[in-house]
Amino acid sequence: MDLPTLQPFFEDKPELLQEILDRYPLGGRRSALMPLMWEVQRAERHVSEARLHEIADIVGVTATEAKGVMSFYSTFHEHPVGRFHLQVCRTLSCKLAGGDELYRALVAETGLVSGETDAAGTFSLQNVECLGSCGTGPVLQVNDTYHERVTRTRLAELLAEMRAGHEPAPTRERGGDNVSAQKAARAEPAAEPAAGGPAEGPADAPADAPGGSSDEEGGAA
Amino acid sequence: MSAVADKPAAITSRFDPRFEVTLYRHVGVDGAHTLEHYRARGGYRAAEKALTTMTPTQVIDEVKASGLRGRGGAGFPAGLKWSFMPPIDGRQRFIVCNGDESEPGSFKDRYLMEDDPHQLIEGMLIAGWAIQATIGILYVRGEYYLAYERMRAAIAEARAAGLLGRGVFATEAEGEGDEATPASPGFDFDIILHRGAGAYICGEETALMNSFEGLRANPRLKPPFPAQAGVYGRPTTINNVESFCSVTHIIGRGAAWYAAMGTDDSKGTKLYQLSGPVARPGVYEMPMGATFRELIFDLGGGPTEPAKAIIPGGSSTPMLPWSDETLDLPMDYGTMAKVGSMLGTGGVIVVPESQCMVDAMANVVRFYAHESCGKCTPCREGVATWLPKMYQKLLAGLGTREDLTLMEEMVRNLRGTAFCPLADACAMPVAASFQHFRHEYEHLVDHGQPKYPTVSRWAE
Ligand SMILES: Cc1cc2nc3c(=O)[nH]c(=O)nc-3n(C[C@H](O)[C@H](O)[C@H](O)COP(=O)(O)O)c2cc1C
Ligand code: SF4
Ligand code: FES
Repeated sequence: MDLPTLQPFFEDKPELLQEILDRYPLGGRRSALMPLMWEVQRAERHVSEARLHEIADIVGVTATEAKGVMSFYSTFHEHPVGRFHLQVCRTLSCKLAGGDELYRALVAETGLVSGETDAAGTFSLQNVECLGSCGTGPVLQVNDTYHERVTRTRLAELLAEMRAGHEPAPTRERGGDNVSAQKAARAEPAAEPAAGGPAEGPADAPADAPGGSSDEEGGAA
Repeated sequence: MSAVADKPAAITSRFDPRFEVTLYRHVGVDGAHTLEHYRARGGYRAAEKALTTMTPTQVIDEVKASGLRGRGGAGFPAGLKWSFMPPIDGRQRFIVCNGDESEPGSFKDRYLMEDDPHQLIEGMLIAGWAIQATIGILYVRGEYYLAYERMRAAIAEARAAGLLGRGVFATEAEGEGDEATPASPGFDFDIILHRGAGAYICGEETALMNSFEGLRANPRLKPPFPAQAGVYGRPTTINNVESFCSVTHIIGRGAAWYAAMGTDDSKGTKLYQLSGPVARPGVYEMPMGATFRELIFDLGGGPTEPAKAIIPGGSSTPMLPWSDETLDLPMDYGTMAKVGSMLGTGGVIVVPESQCMVDAMANVVRFYAHESCGKCTPCREGVATWLPKMYQKLLAGLGTREDLTLMEEMVRNLRGTAFCPLADACAMPVAASFQHFRHEYEHLVDHGQPKYPTVSRWAE
């Protein structure tokens, strides 16, 4: 490649590279394409032309082929996204929970429309399709983290945190049997007499989950 | 013995005292994703039972007897699918788990992978044994990062505990003479975890295989079916996350226990998902054959505003009008087919009266248009290009009655012409919206305004 100053991404990560290549049997080296792209993108917020060539060389396909694969997937980015990549679900269930309005609020707040990154590289905005969190919409994915049931108030808090440079902790909402299963688990006898079982028995822990997962009491009940 | 008379009635209600939450027993419980938690509650005993006391054929027969139908959407009988694998011929065989969950309205598999990863690994291990596949592949959609991390950690834990890898449940020889049990080498089985990157079509089984192989995720021509030539051209069986989790319990508790739940053509316990304006949306586990009413009212707390339609199984399944009759329908494969719809993934979406149906369908159509892989003409030209344009025209108030007729004809003609079911997945709900809500389309073209103008739905 004609970017001589750029150090190849995997040059100083031989173990990681080997581990990824070793995952795939039967000479399926090409299967490593997506995992390698993920590694680069997680580190650099996009997969540049130079990185794409490097990956293509490693896997043994042409850069054109690698590009063809990359362009198929909507979460691989050719250009850097922001430090906070805001992905708003726009599909039906989220729409019914205010997803369109959430998107418009983000447009107003960031001055971006879907597909854009701001000049400072802080925010980028992308409309995405159903994130598989339809019961707790509207959903905003920031980088790899889901924020569920993002109300107006919650959005303001999230934006404030991000503007202060912090990655906000996940807002993990629950509903349905994500809540009531806890009751079932508590009613269940601490299964095995077997040694060393964890101390989670009948009268155990309240529904509250520490560590950033805010357990909501069965929706609006 | 009067066997017939004594046969207890099938369990078809969540409130039947014999029903237990099973698949979601650990979901929502803190720390449930660890091996320690799982094993302390009897985890991996089903796999041990299968691998040490049952032949592969016996496992397949048990799954057949359970009546389990695939939970990925099509409802194909799982045991039957497993029996399609060719005889062992020295080629590598694969068992694949489809964790691409992307059909709008579906969100059950995510929690299974996040909160109970070992239940899934155990199901894959049992399935691997049944079809004699030593490699499992778990394809997780790219957005499910927490699920991916939890699965990765769980696979590492299972490997460290000897539950994956070489000689799983190997035993040494014991006793002598007639009583002797010979040594067993155990079963070699490991799982490759692979992450997608945001493409709905990767959920289609052959597209998923192409994606895994590092190709563009276009569906493949069938036949050959995956059992003949799947991953890397080798014999492959693919099932959904919930299907594998169900297998764990079918083996653990027996086919009879499983088949005691459900209706004639739909057995077992199922994860239904409820979204839209209801008091308590979420995933609810219920026996097959439970009614919409039980899900939406008894568990979900009822709609928070007047409703007009129910989408029964993900956005590709034809909607049903909201009525007492619909609410009393059992949510099973046969009933849904009889009323012209499908159970799909069991992702129930309640559509409120105040939501313009044309606008809602424009949203659904845009989804499938966006996700069309572009491989075949009917889908590329019809679904991805023409239909979304027509909806734009309608919503701009520029549509005509002729447009409506044309659209109806178009989606009718589209059915069955495309290379894979994605085009039908778009055409079917559009057709249903015309069938039940044509008056809203007509109102829009006649007045240039929707019958139901956009209202704010966003919570403070
Ligand atoms: C367009 C399309 C998307 C699909 N998406 C999924 C999916 O996200 N998850 C899934 O399990 N099955 C999905 N399927 C069904 C799979 O092709 C396959 O039938 C299923 O994974 C088999 O598993 P099962 O028999 O256990 O249901 C999809 C099918 C089509 C045509
Ligand atoms: S129907 Fe659509 S998604 Fe399926 S192969 Fe054709 S273009 Fe691709
Ligand atoms: S519709 Fe937004 S997560 Fe499914």
